[in-house]
Amino acid sequence: MRAALALPILVVPAKAGAAEVGEVGITVLGYKERGLMKVTEPVLWGRARVMEVWEIQGSAAVDIVSGASPQLVSNQSGRPVQTITGASVEDYRKLVDVKVTRHFDDFALSLSGAYSDEHDYRSKAFGVEGRFDFNQRNTTLAVGYGQSNDRVSSTDDPTLDAPRDTRDYLVGVTQVLSPTALVQSTLTAARGKGWFSDPYKVTFTFFPAGLPIVARDSRPDHRNTLAWLTRYRAHFPAAGGTLQADYRFYRDDWGIRAHTLDVGWQQTISERWALRPGLRYHTQQAADFYSPVSPRPQPEVLSSDQRLASFGGVSPSLRAIVKLDSGFAFEATLGYIYNARNLRFGGSGSPAFETLRAYYGIVGITRAF
Amino acid sequence: MKHPAALAALVVAALALGACAPVAPYQRGYLARDDMALDAHPGLAKALEKTFAAKEAASGGATVGGSGCGCN
Repeated sequence: MRAALALPILVVPAKAGAAEVGEVGITVLGYKERGLMKVTEPVLWGRARVMEVWEIQGSAAVDIVSGASPQLVSNQSGRPVQTITGASVEDYRKLVDVKVTRHFDDFALSLSGAYSDEHDYRSKAFGVEGRFDFNQRNTTLAVGYGQSNDRVSSTDDPTLDAPRDTRDYLVGVTQVLSPTALVQSTLTAARGKGWFSDPYKVTFTFFPAGLPIVARDSRPDHRNTLAWLTRYRAHFPAAGGTLQADYRFYRDDWGIRAHTLDVGWQQTISERWALRPGLRYHTQQAADFYSPVSPRPQPEVLSSDQRLASFGGVSPSLRAIVKLDSGFAFEATLGYIYNARNLRFGGSGSPAFETLRAYYGIVGITRAF
Repeated sequence: MKHPAALAALVVAALALGACAPVAPYQRGYLARDDMALDAHPGLAKALEKTFAAKEAASGGATVGGSGCGCN
């Protein structure tokens, strides 16, 4: 929506003579990892154009997380493996966000705010963005600034109550390439400082001789990131389909380098039906301080969290969309995630990375008014 | 060019200069299609973000001022 708003084209459904147009919807995500987490997330959202020049959008969601989460990496068996410890996790995360945009002739100004709360993490964020249209509204430049002020706590450590503050800077351009194609490229830099360690994760390292090391997850107190996202859309009238391609390059000062390519083809089947097969590929290089075992002497920063490891992943998906005359639209997406060390592009991944297999489904209903 | 930020800035600048012939408003019917939107609607966008961001080290790209975590 944010990027689409950057274009001088209709974003919300237009109704002739109506002072207010918009849509509301509810979307439910179901996610299940083999042997681990289960996530359910209902999202209620809406957006509307009011009095021609104002646009408002907002959403509210609840993450319901249950199941087991890997908390310990131990090499007691001879090689480092993830181990589930303690009772199953049961957590609720509540999120709400709102964004208001004022449109001027060739300029739009947006203010946004977001709040999320869970039992061990609270986040407050705001953002401001400006968009400038020129070149006969074929080009849009966007600049933005955002800030989040978070608090980290832990059920395992009642004394933990630490801040994590992040500032985001955005610059981007959207270009209409032809009557059937457009591209957008956006750079987002973030400067974070505060508590980034995972208070629940521990690395247990045994040695042939001597006492083992029990190392709590310990990460740097800063994280500076750069994400460069380019998105391309091209409609092919003769084929009745639209190519949707997104590529993101990501790097940070933890040593992580990641590439993500997401390509979909939305095929119109009839006036009502459309199908969208998609394929997503992600590859990343490990953080400098990632290690499934602790060396001696124990370093100041070390994490065995395999999300910081080197690996790659593929995720095929299929979405079906049906639109009804009454203004309702239904959609359902089924996807599979397979993350493995040998899928890392350009080399082998971290040997201790344990293959992740997960399924997800997303169903939604939208009502335009 | 070793620095990706410089490369990205170059591409952004090249795009902004826009060598493309302008597309008139009456030619933008296809661009206004739902499937040409750069972002999915908020419900789908949030669900997809939740699905992948919690299992990878990389995130972000098109927005600022979002709330964080929800990590599991």
